[in-house]
Amino acid sequence: MAEKIYDAVIVGAGVAGAIVAKTLTQAGYRVLLLEAGLQAGLAFAEAKAYENYQSYMDTFYNALAKVPNAPYPNLQDAPSPNVLDLSPIQGTTPDTTGYFVQKGPLPFGSDYARTPGGTTLHWLGTCLRMLPNDFRLKTVYGQGVDWPISYEELKPYYEMAEREIGVSADVEDQIYPNTGKDFFGKGYVYPMRKIPQSYLDQKFIKGVRGMKVGVKGDEYELYVISTPQGRNSIPNDRYNLVGPVWDKATQRLVMKHSDDAHYNPVGAIWDPYTGQRCEGNANCVPICPVQAKYNALKTLKNARRDRLDIVTQAVASKVEIDPTTGRVTAITYKKYQDPDSPEYTTETARGTIFVLAAHSVENAKILLASGVANSSNQVGRNLMDHMVFLTWGLMPERVYPYRGPGSTSNIPVFRDGEFRERHAAFIMPIDNWGFGWPANAPYSDLSAAVNRMNLFGKQLRRHLNDTVARQLLLHFECEQLPQPENRVMLDPRYMDQLGNFRPVIQYNVSDYTRAAMAAAKNISDQIFARVGIEDYSEYNPTDADYLIYDGVGYTFWGAGHLVGTHRMGFARSDSVVSREQRTWDHENLFLVGCGNMPTIGTSNPTLTMAALSFWAAENIIRELQ
Amino acid sequence: MTIIKPLIIANRHRLVREGRPRIPEAARIKTLPSLRRHLQTAIELEHSTIPPYLCALYSIEEGDNLPSSEIIQSVVVEEMLHMILASNVLNAIGGQPSINHPRFIPEYPTFLPHSDKSFEVGLQKFSKPTIDTFLRIELPAKPKAPPEANRYHTIGQFYEAIEDGLIRLSEEKNIFTGDRARQITTEYYYGGGGGVIPVHDLDSALKALSEIVGQGEGVYHTIFDGDHKLFGEKIEYAHYFRFNEIHEERYYTKRDTPKSGPTGKRLPVNWDGVYDMRPNPKMKDYPKGTELRKKIYDFNRIYVSLLDDLHRAFNGEPKQLLNAVVRMYDVKYQAIELMKIPVNEEGMTAGPSFEYVPPKG
Repeated sequence: MAEKIYDAVIVGAGVAGAIVAKTLTQAGYRVLLLEAGLQAGLAFAEAKAYENYQSYMDTFYNALAKVPNAPYPNLQDAPSPNVLDLSPIQGTTPDTTGYFVQKGPLPFGSDYARTPGGTTLHWLGTCLRMLPNDFRLKTVYGQGVDWPISYEELKPYYEMAEREIGVSADVEDQIYPNTGKDFFGKGYVYPMRKIPQSYLDQKFIKGVRGMKVGVKGDEYELYVISTPQGRNSIPNDRYNLVGPVWDKATQRLVMKHSDDAHYNPVGAIWDPYTGQRCEGNANCVPICPVQAKYNALKTLKNARRDRLDIVTQAVASKVEIDPTTGRVTAITYKKYQDPDSPEYTTETARGTIFVLAAHSVENAKILLASGVANSSNQVGRNLMDHMVFLTWGLMPERVYPYRGPGSTSNIPVFRDGEFRERHAAFIMPIDNWGFGWPANAPYSDLSAAVNRMNLFGKQLRRHLNDTVARQLLLHFECEQLPQPENRVMLDPRYMDQLGNFRPVIQYNVSDYTRAAMAAAKNISDQIFARVGIEDYSEYNPTDADYLIYDGVGYTFWGAGHLVGTHRMGFARSDSVVSREQRTWDHENLFLVGCGNMPTIGTSNPTLTMAALSFWAAENIIRELQ
Repeated sequence: MTIIKPLIIANRHRLVREGRPRIPEAARIKTLPSLRRHLQTAIELEHSTIPPYLCALYSIEEGDNLPSSEIIQSVVVEEMLHMILASNVLNAIGGQPSINHPRFIPEYPTFLPHSDKSFEVGLQKFSKPTIDTFLRIELPAKPKAPPEANRYHTIGQFYEAIEDGLIRLSEEKNIFTGDRARQITTEYYYGGGGGVIPVHDLDSALKALSEIVGQGEGVYHTIFDGDHKLFGEKIEYAHYFRFNEIHEERYYTKRDTPKSGPTGKRLPVNWDGVYDMRPNPKMKDYPKGTELRKKIYDFNRIYVSLLDDLHRAFNGEPKQLLNAVVRMYDVKYQAIELMKIPVNEEGMTAGPSFEYVPPKG
């Protein structure tokens, strides 16, 4: 197999790699996909696919801490970061507890999953597009950098991504700051209607209706919208797009309008009739029991399998370059049989085009390890995430959290505005998770009631019913700007057992983002006062990511939105890929994934990454023709 | 000679009979009230198979017998689709489906409503004899069996009589006078093959009926000696053949015919991976005041509220179907709980009794 020459060799079977693989194979090209995770995770035959997914479910049920990576195998031969490994960094000694080597000064708090399907297996599923001003942050607000692609240019690819992922939302609900009526194309509707907003959302919406908040002398009227999500709902009968298909005449991928088009929700990979609607399971992060939530395996399943070879348990380690032409000649990978054993064989994958889709951190690692694509010295730099700042308290009445997907509504007011000249933008999701994230509720409520309050029997039940059912969690995802010193590095002292590098991460949060947390806390205080929420928020210096701004302490959590490590740009001097998503240094090497994004905005990045993956696939097809 | 044509529904196709049914004069449905009564019976008939299928499905121990579970589950979902389709036809001709009246649920074991009483259907655990019964329920009509309006031998014959009635009566005058807002539309149905067909004229009514019969029994008349391509990726197998795959513990392949039976790869069945539910459970098996009796009562209350939801959905409030979905989960959880409670020395277990119990007044 190794000696076969493919049209394209793709590294990574997550959402970016799956979209490129599906698009290229459907256009007739022969593709080899290398995946570091286990073979079992790629079973598509009904019984095997079910069995493997149930094994994830069982692992999740048995896990004491229900963190995002809890259900999925952590392989010694292809380790994944885990949020359980986080702790404050002491002095200048790197924390080497987990897969990441954390140099700090703040530990990097996000994870990802190195398994077939990638991090879409545990993602939340929020599918907001980025806003037009996010693409021109430097021009409009003098911050960060501009993208070499505009929102208008990316718009058709967002439509492709929304079909591929299967996004549920109502266009008429989607009102964002500083956007016009033309934000969505004329007559555009999402493939499926919106996921119902939770009871908790409805109570909260009632509480803040018509409310104005003051921030530094400016006044903003709050409004709440439903959140577009990559989970199945009732198909919208006005949806009339099919595709994308390769259009020879224009040399582009296009969606076609068709009156006969109707969207069929894509069910579980083991049974098309399972998961055709979201069933409201509250544990869809980290694992949707019925696969009503999108994951990249659904995309891979619909690739043309006769043109797709997949090699699993294959960890890409080096990009080989022809020194005279600068072209990539091969990807070297380490093939292991047993994920716990250090034994492997070295293999080579050859093709015309090479695509790294291994995740922003892993892509950077492979490039740095190979010494390629880095004439700009930007590989591994500009690592960004959303700083998740949480506030939590008890509502005046029962709102029944822990039902439905993690978050079904958000306040978009602070996603864009002139304040971005001074501090970061943020989106405010309203969570259905009670105090789960910051305080490990409801387990912690039970143990506190039993151990500290000595409650039992009816009293215990009454107490839990009264408190747990009133838990409200507000959530502020603050934008982080690209900073070259926030970076992924390599150090030969830190290797995994296959002899691949572990990511060494240096990370901090600038005042621009810290100021947003201060603004967020101020807004939260106003909301809590207005709605009558009893504040339980608590930020301690012992928290892993605790920081001080203006004399006040805040704790933030990672969002799992790892962006920017091989960014695109206008010039080869300060970016790794061009707007085509092609490395400036090697004409047959493309990068896909969130690493290409020059800024992060306030959208969970998967939808934008998916749109960019179609964009990249289009450029690759043009190249292969 | 019966002509077979492909019917394409939602990108999948199956084969159905073409042309007009030929019904003997005596067996014809001649009046609109009679036609409505027959459609009400159709709804009851479609429903009457659901409790037996659910018992078999929920008696399978969690995680075991995956292929069989999927087959039974998809059949149940499609029986619900048939209820919707029959209700759509009844609503289209100005009728009012009645779903939540005390006699709506048959007393198991029972003969199928209006049948020729050749076999009884009970509430039983997943087993080979149970699948035998399911095969008889979904049995295609024998060649040349005439349609009968009252004592029909197969479900297909019963529907042919209705089809004939629809055609004849609409030749006399327009019978499709029902309020269109009472139709259940496509977006509410998922989880199984086929699709909802809103009914507003003869053509859509006949399509709805072919959908029912096509899914249930496949191509009738010529089924056992047919050499049509009935199987394969894009073809939805009729329920009869899907149950037959379980029975024979083997899948059909593209080359198979009804005559050849399934010759594909093995379909693994673990007849022991099942809760040993005592057949045909009843509330009266357990004294009043016992916890078990209350549990079965609670189950029945939930099941009857599910029927209430469906009743409202079929009578002008289609959105109630969304509630019914939530209720289905309660039905499932409570039924499985009952299946786990041992009731005698042999280790047999309790089970859902599917009896009508009125709301607490």
